[in-house]
Amino acid sequence: MTAPLLVLDRVRKVYTRGRIVRRPTFTLEADLSLAEPGIVGVVGPNGAGKTTLFEMMTGSNAPTSGRVLVGGTDIHAVKYRERDRLAIHYHQSYQVRRFRKRVPSVLLAPSPTATPLVHLFDEPQFNLQDGYIGFMLDFFRKLVSEGRLVILCMHPTASWHLDILAEIAGRFLFVAGGGVTPVADFRSLVAEPRFRLYLGPEMTQAADTIGHGAA
Amino acid sequence: MSMIEAAGVHVRFGDRVVLESVDLAVAEGEFHGVMGPNGAGKTTFFNVLTGRVKPDRGSIRLGGEDVTGLSPHRIAAKGIARSFQIMTLFDEFSARDNVMMGLPAFRARGLDMIRAAAGDRSLLDQASGALAAVGLADKADVRAKDLSYGDRRALEIAVALAQAPRVLCLDEPTSGLGSDGVQRLATLVAQLKGKLTIVAIEHDMEFLFSLADRISVIHWGQVVARGTPQELQRNEWVRRSNLGKFA
Repeated sequence: MTAPLLVLDRVRKVYTRGRIVRRPTFTLEADLSLAEPGIVGVVGPNGAGKTTLFEMMTGSNAPTSGRVLVGGTDIHAVKYRERDRLAIHYHQSYQVRRFRKRVPSVLLAPSPTATPLVHLFDEPQFNLQDGYIGFMLDFFRKLVSEGRLVILCMHPTASWHLDILAEIAGRFLFVAGGGVTPVADFRSLVAEPRFRLYLGPEMTQAADTIGHGAA
Repeated sequence: MSMIEAAGVHVRFGDRVVLESVDLAVAEGEFHGVMGPNGAGKTTFFNVLTGRVKPDRGSIRLGGEDVTGLSPHRIAAKGIARSFQIMTLFDEFSARDNVMMGLPAFRARGLDMIRAAAGDRSLLDQASGALAAVGLADKADVRAKDLSYGDRRALEIAVALAQAPRVLCLDEPTSGLGSDGVQRLATLVAQLKGKLTIVAIEHDMEFLFSLADRISVIHWGQVVARGTPQELQRNEWVRRSNLGKFA
């Protein structure tokens, strides 16, 4: 497939309040392309819109405007139960499949692919004790070697969380302030003042140490 | 040739994908361990192997023969026996009778033949052989409900062995066992190793890493890692964890 794996084409999600006079309560905008297979780390404070971003990418929450293209196909125009053939959303150890159904499925298109092109892992349950972490990281690499895009969302609360991000993610998306900022690598992410603020002093220090080691 | 060959097995329960696309090959005589967190799809995979769940896509071959979608009793007749996560014994019957009911020749006669079969020397010998194999020879006449937990686990394996299977599937064989019970089971499995093909779902990592020839790690309904215990432990993050201890 030559189409980019994931494109958010001028995507904008507006949540509103009030029935007669609609006042926006939250807006998230994203305009980006993740064309090649790879592992992308998604970081940002709570409430910044990471879940909304994931829901839009996996077709469970339609954007107010703009399009989400997975392998060139508008995922929001695909039959609900076939959307996970394009992009699949894992939360901790479970797969998330809650679709807000606004159009009858018969009016929607079938998925052109049988296995998901984009795999989104929303805070996978990493536990340093049980060893699964190592298997998961290998699994992410295997998906990439098969030409897929892996998106990994983590809240770094321990320095080894940062180790994982630095080791495995090729690039990053920083979600904050209603926008999504692509960041080229771990060092650039650590240099981002808003990321440092989000991490707090202790984790920032750990991130600096890892960032220097990665140089 | 592989004894078991699962290719692209995909299972959906309603909206939920339980097995994404599972490939798993087990060589004849191999002890293959399956590990993974709760809800990962391990038991569903066993249910596909043994015919209780029909896959939406993909195939299962047993000794080269396609058995995909066959009913459980047809698959059992082709040589796959299993034990269950939850024990399925006839509590009021003796250990020997439980094993007898697992014998193919006994089943062929129908359930009304218990008395007649009880007098059949060859069936009794087969049952005694299976009981002896799991160390229950001297408890043949004890009712299943009067056996200790460890003995009941062993009896379940005897019931499966009585079918003279080519493949033995064990679903969490150590669950509920104390360290003595686990040790005894490990000895039993070590004796069976190589004589028949064994696939075991197991949470006890020490048990699995010390006995298995190869291990598949299932998570999110997919095989996320596979290899010999040594290969799996080569991963740096695995070495940092408790699993690294069992090398």
